[in-house]
Amino acid sequence: MKRRIIILLLLFVALSGKAQDKAHFSLFTDRDIYTSGETLLLKVFVPEGEQSGIVHIDLINTKGKIITGISKKITDHQADGFIDLPDSLSTGCYLLCTSTKINPSVTVKELYICNRFTGIPESNSALKSKGTNYLVEKRDTLFQIEGLNKNYSTREKVSLSLHLPSELLPQLDENLFVSVAEIAPGYNSGTFFKSVIPRTSQIIEKEGVVLDGIVTDVITGKPFKNGIVFLSIPDTIPRFKYYITGNDGHFKFQLDNYFGKLEVVIQGFDREEKRFLKVDLNNRDSLTSVVPTFEKWTVTPELRKYAEDNTEATNFRKIFNRQELVVVTPPKTKPDDYPFYGLPTEVVDPQLFIELPNFTEISRELLPGVKFRTYNRKSSLQVFNPALHNYFIDQPLVLLDGIPIRDLNIIKDLGSKEIDRIEICRDERHYGYLVFQGVVAIYTTKADVTRIAESDDLIKLKTDGIQPDVSLNIPKEQQLNEMDLRKVLLWKPSLKPENTIKFDFETSDIRGSFKLIIKGKTRDGSIIYKEQTFEVH
Amino acid sequence: MINRTFSIITLFVLFAASSLTAQEGSPNDMNAQIIKGKGFISYPSYSGSPFLNAKFLNGEIEFLDGTKVKNLGLRYSSYRDELIYFNDYLSDQIVIDKISIKGFSFTDINSTKRIFRRQNYDGFLTGERYFEVLSDGGISLLAYRKVDLESCDPSFSKLGLAYKQSYSYYMFAPNKGYSILKLNRNSLLSKFDKPNQKLVRKVLRKNGVMITDEASFVLAWNLIKENTIPIHF
Repeated sequence: MKRRIIILLLLFVALSGKAQDKAHFSLFTDRDIYTSGETLLLKVFVPEGEQSGIVHIDLINTKGKIITGISKKITDHQADGFIDLPDSLSTGCYLLCTSTKINPSVTVKELYICNRFTGIPESNSALKSKGTNYLVEKRDTLFQIEGLNKNYSTREKVSLSLHLPSELLPQLDENLFVSVAEIAPGYNSGTFFKSVIPRTSQIIEKEGVVLDGIVTDVITGKPFKNGIVFLSIPDTIPRFKYYITGNDGHFKFQLDNYFGKLEVVIQGFDREEKRFLKVDLNNRDSLTSVVPTFEKWTVTPELRKYAEDNTEATNFRKIFNRQELVVVTPPKTKPDDYPFYGLPTEVVDPQLFIELPNFTEISRELLPGVKFRTYNRKSSLQVFNPALHNYFIDQPLVLLDGIPIRDLNIIKDLGSKEIDRIEICRDERHYGYLVFQGVVAIYTTKADVTRIAESDDLIKLKTDGIQPDVSLNIPKEQQLNEMDLRKVLLWKPSLKPENTIKFDFETSDIRGSFKLIIKGKTRDGSIIYKEQTFEVH
Repeated sequence: MINRTFSIITLFVLFAASSLTAQEGSPNDMNAQIIKGKGFISYPSYSGSPFLNAKFLNGEIEFLDGTKVKNLGLRYSSYRDELIYFNDYLSDQIVIDKISIKGFSFTDINSTKRIFRRQNYDGFLTGERYFEVLSDGGISLLAYRKVDLESCDPSFSKLGLAYKQSYSYYMFAPNKGYSILKLNRNSLLSKFDKPNQKLVRKVLRKNGVMITDEASFVLAWNLIKENTIPIHF
């Protein structure tokens, strides 16, 4: 009997790890009401047991369609970022969803966005969610704010002290976040969570965003085994990854430590070149399962006035090109980096020589040991291997602006004017499990991917890597003859907890109600906060 | 009997649960191997060996970006100062690009871990070289395991050429560079001031170390390091 109890206890311990999945993300934004074209600032607290290293924050409409989104790296169970709200958003209710690829819980925050050209409709009718699983936060009386008055004038300097009792410090899980922003009269948006079927149970995004999909045989429609999938990112030093598909035809690429907007080319092919393949990406363009039921509500005159003022301020900031944010850490470059195909044996700049009309001429005149021929509208290319004193039998790896190409007709009309440089590797090059019988890398003066056409087996897409860190752009010296229409006066998403934290900010030219919010997460997973409002006259 | 069956089933479930967790955390094909290199072309066959280790030995490589790849079959070519690995998937020998490597290590047949570091050599025949780290520290003791193709007595090699060891040893400090050493007592003593030479002699005598070969030289070096006798560099 005793043994049974011990064994059952052991079982419980082994399986209890899964219980952590029930925890939810906590999501906060600087405000609840926005104007299209504005920047939304956000902060996410990630549950303790989260395995993923990347959190996705998507803005969806009331039908669940994803409008825009970002991916952020999780650091110390937290992440913060921003979303540029598109100018084209129509006035209405939107949802901001926080998720990872493997977590079955999605935290949703409701927002009201007003189009800056059309404003709020005359009918004053709007939608509001009727979500049930609202996230509960705990107001903490232990936070003490010193130095905050009830009223301030415009452009007044404010110095505050936040006191945290010593007994609270060990309870806090990493950093606090502090925000001072304008609040909308009579509007409070709710944050709730929804349980969904996770996008995948196998792909854990540790260091970067994962792109995944499937390769199928065009004729049979079945997943293709042993297909090769290339992922290329054109850059000064082109980036390249590969994947050899298994029985299920699936592929996945982790864009580790890629920041900002990326232009990506994915292509799949049969190594034996017998079959035509189709590459499909597992793109998620909707999140219908998180959409709650909605009820109608009427926009109050105060809120309408607030929205109109807000729109005016946004338009002003847009006209005068006021930058809301400053990028804090630019992406790091790797030391002593060189292309994936190795250091070239030879680099040729065709523009240093007499102008040649096409690549056949260039190869004949300028590229010794590179044989480019076109017979019956089919082009072929071979590289001479000096070690074996003969040409390689197979076609080398041919790259156009860093993207591998197999149809050589793309390059046959390239003349000296279009080519910036040609890099040649005469050795048999190896990259992991791939072998290239020589490499010819052509870099054009335009350096774009427009010459390469999309097809079933080649996808060109613009995707987002990890969003770089930013900070609020607060002018160091206020110009008296320029309007200061900042609605967010302070945004410190990661503040190290100490007994006393001091911070300063300056009110802008916007009059109205502002709220100071301090939030943190305790080690037991609950969110604690303190807020205090003040008026700017 | 029932108790035993119950225990076996439970242990099986526990094992399955733990292995599932391990699978989730294990690296998958997403991180497919990305070692850059070129195909290995066999060296001409003469007497002697162009390799430090004739067989591929299990080792580890550290790349410049900090990534490490373990459990690779490695072979160091002393003749060309190249690192060759065996790619199981391609069943091919590949010369890894020297510029991508920070260092590598492997365990030899005597179960000794041998550590190599890529460093720029600024002396005669300047360039990037793989040095074996015999003793690491503020001042390191390095060996350059070079093998040269030299002419020899036809009785030794039919073709009149043979691979011959031409190892060289250096003291190295990042801010001072290289200083060549010979594997004898006088060369070692020349690296110390007069008063410290006495101390070195004393330490060697006390520990009964006679410098006759590489092993005894390294032993002497480590004893000096332990006794913190300042080296004149």
